[in-house]
Amino acid sequence: MRAAWAILRKELRVYFVSPLAYVFLAVFLFLAGVFFYLGITLTGEASLRVMLGNLSISLLFVLPMLTMRHFAEEQRSGTFELLMTAPVHPWSMIIGKWLASLVLCTIMLAGTLVFTGVLAYYGDPDWGTVATSYLALFLCSAAFCAAGLFASSLTRDQVAAGLAGIIILLPFWLIGQAARLTDHAGLAAVLEKAAFLTHLRSFTRGVIDTADVAYFVGFVFVFLFLTYRTLESRRWR
Amino acid sequence: MEPRGLVFTLRVGIVTLPSFHGTLDVVVWVGESMIEARGITKRYGPFTAVQDVSFTAGKGTVLGFIGPNGAGKTTTMRILTGYLPATAGDAIVAGFDVFQDPMQVKRRVGYLPEAPPLYPELTVGDYLSFVAEIREVPAKGRYRRIGEVMEMVGLTGWERRILGSLSKGYRQRVGLAQALVHDPPVLILDEPTSGLDPAQNVGIRELIGAIGGERTVVLSTHILAEVEATCDQVVVIDRGRIAAQGSLEEVRTQATGGLRYRVELRGDDLARSVGGLDEVEQVVPSPGSDGFEVLEVFSAPDTDPRTAIAALAGRAGWTVRSIERVQPTLEDAFLAIVGREDARQSTGSQP
Repeated sequence: MRAAWAILRKELRVYFVSPLAYVFLAVFLFLAGVFFYLGITLTGEASLRVMLGNLSISLLFVLPMLTMRHFAEEQRSGTFELLMTAPVHPWSMIIGKWLASLVLCTIMLAGTLVFTGVLAYYGDPDWGTVATSYLALFLCSAAFCAAGLFASSLTRDQVAAGLAGIIILLPFWLIGQAARLTDHAGLAAVLEKAAFLTHLRSFTRGVIDTADVAYFVGFVFVFLFLTYRTLESRRWR
Repeated sequence: MEPRGLVFTLRVGIVTLPSFHGTLDVVVWVGESMIEARGITKRYGPFTAVQDVSFTAGKGTVLGFIGPNGAGKTTTMRILTGYLPATAGDAIVAGFDVFQDPMQVKRRVGYLPEAPPLYPELTVGDYLSFVAEIREVPAKGRYRRIGEVMEMVGLTGWERRILGSLSKGYRQRVGLAQALVHDPPVLILDEPTSGLDPAQNVGIRELIGAIGGERTVVLSTHILAEVEATCDQVVVIDRGRIAAQGSLEEVRTQATGGLRYRVELRGDDLARSVGGLDEVEQVVPSPGSDGFEVLEVFSAPDTDPRTAIAALAGRAGWTVRSIERVQPTLEDAFLAIVGREDARQSTGSQP
């Protein structure tokens, strides 16, 4: 796991010496600002409900762009060979890279605390709900990063990896809506359970349901495991 | 022949300890062989990239892997580093089985792929400390080790340069530094001089000579002068198979068959008389200067016709200006080997 720590630091360095991290921070904070403004002016409530809800959807599009380079670029440039011929277990690479993206996400989310500060200055928000909403966003980020990392392991083309990441994640957002279109109760329930929004709902009401936490943790495990399998199978091709 | 090392792996039953459960392998290391490839074969579907490649490299030797582009050099090297699994065969590198114990092998091998594996965003210093860390160079002394390696490859003072801005020659140096940072006993270099200008070429070659020392170096190239300059041992690979191997000398003669001599004589009926000797297989005459005639003499296997020619000249009353053995070049050997394979291929007879 020492290698994972080295890879984590390397990835963060790459993020921050290139314009990448700053562009993401700027875009994300801009979106957060827009959602914050609209949320306050349209609903008239002193809450972050609208902003945080919309940010989770934004993350779905932003994070695959953040993770797309991880394995795709290593494979394209040949540095993957460096990692694979060093005594580094594939899991160290996966964990290191996933955590690096998650650290950047955390920094992005921390940036939006400015709006919480504004809210606290002018109003009296429900701090419990704010805290659980942030936890929800963090879990969302962890899940989306894992899926994005998986997409990145599939190809050596960064852009393709980014699009693949979005394509993998979109259904999990859309099936929530699809559940309403079906008459079959069982199918509707399954679709409902598989969707992100279902599992975000209780967080936005200030409730931490372990089933929801388990959903996101499971999501992360499944996609990190798929990434591992892809990396292993790459060697045989 | 190089001393062949032997590795005995004794499997000492099933060991059950509170913290450990499994078979305990005791590796007994005899001899000096650092790399031993046995029947390595790699297939991609119906395509065979490498077929039954076996060779041994002793401690401290520099082994040159030569062959035309696409012959399977890179594939073989990737298999030796544990990057690619082989379809069949096995390999012992630095005392460990590449397929059973890849982590142990990876700890002891420095590898420079064909394109140096650099992160263009990082500085030389950051990059090398990252590699040192994943290559398990202990934190204590890591900084000093990086300094040493940078000095070895001539990068002192370049710590803060961004990798993306380096010229090809310097990228190659960083690539070498990366392969050396954990002080590996085995160094595998894939075309270390490809794409460099002649001056850089010489620089890298000298460097390989200097860093070799106790290390076993395997390098691949399609530039024969490079092999002549740096290698003790040669493996010629063509279309995924080993076409010839041995010391430089052995490969040269192996490939061209009998030896070649150049004889300068003045006299009558030279070619016919010399051609009549038992030791001589073929004579190719050509006119020389000052009334001398130059004969190119191909000897029969395992014979040296020089004394016979001298004796014949004495009897016939010829004037002898010189009788010398022509050193076959590796170029000749290589063309002979690869040409032979070509001929075999075109007649359609598959071995």
